[in-house]
Amino acid sequence: MSTYSVVIEVPEDCDAAAAGETVELDVADSEYVLAAARDAGVWLPADCQQGWCTTCAAELLAGEVDQSDARRYFEADAEADLILPCTATPESDLRIRACQYDEMLDHRAAIDEPPGRSKR
Amino acid sequence: MADDDRRHGSGSVEPGSTDKRVGMEALRERGLDPEELRERLIDAIGAEFSTYYYYTNLRMHLAGHEDYKEITEDARLEDRAHFELVAPRVYELGGSLPGDIGDFMGRASCPHAELPVPFEGETPDLSQLDAEGILEVLLEAERCAIRTWSEICDMTHGKDPRTYDMASRILQEEVEHEAWFIELLSMERDGEINPAGHFVRGEPGDAPYSTNRRINDSA
Repeated sequence: MSTYSVVIEVPEDCDAAAAGETVELDVADSEYVLAAARDAGVWLPADCQQGWCTTCAAELLAGEVDQSDARRYFEADAEADLILPCTATPESDLRIRACQYDEMLDHRAAIDEPPGRSKR
Repeated sequence: MADDDRRHGSGSVEPGSTDKRVGMEALRERGLDPEELRERLIDAIGAEFSTYYYYTNLRMHLAGHEDYKEITEDARLEDRAHFELVAPRVYELGGSLPGDIGDFMGRASCPHAELPVPFEGETPDLSQLDAEGILEVLLEAERCAIRTWSEICDMTHGKDPRTYDMASRILQEEVEHEAWFIELLSMERDGEINPAGHFVRGEPGDAPYSTNRRINDSA
């Protein structure tokens, strides 16, 4: 088992106690990034936690993740550097920007995929 | 000042106005965005409607497991009750159900509880289907619902007692559903006794906390 350093930028406008902060935590390659963050006391937005609703969406700024456990994730999401931390395990050290739900909805609408196409 | 010049209390809603709702502005005054809440509720009841449909199909495929069928039937009907309990709240918050059911299902906040087998086009490969697989789907669907309604409770607590009351009623039943499917899956898959600890419903899909018959007799 490997453990990676995950740096999470939490934007100022995020509805989270850590808004405006940048936090760093260690995440095992078997752990989901969201669960690891919440275990470390960084309460990021999420809903289904099955890689479906996209509430937890984040921007991947650096590194690689395994997103294969997500129930609804498109190749175009990866190409746009958008990930779902609820079902993403690290495959390297990471840097992500949390709270990108609106950006994910816009992206999904642009590629005519749910839930964005129903909400934009 | 003449009576007809008096404002209707304080706030931004003019007397007689039907363009705004005090029921929404009161939430805004307390720091809750009623439009954001409304959209979350549409997503959440989309998931309830989806499970009502997919549980119907899962139930059909529990042949030979009549006890599992009955429990699934309770959960199925109670998920419909959850949809019906909250749908009126969407309208109270100035929204409406999506006109296209495809849109409604696309934005459901939980994955569809599909038969856990490969499909060839529209046809499921039933040779690989068993009760264990179905119970796992049911369990994970309930877990998603618990997360969704917990989020709604967090969002509304101390700010919107009406939505909070609905969400907490639903959450109580979703937690019970999870316990049912843990009990059934524990025995079916692992041969372990893992009781839910519950008594039988009064009638199928009783929805003891959430049915809107007890809240609105005309529904």
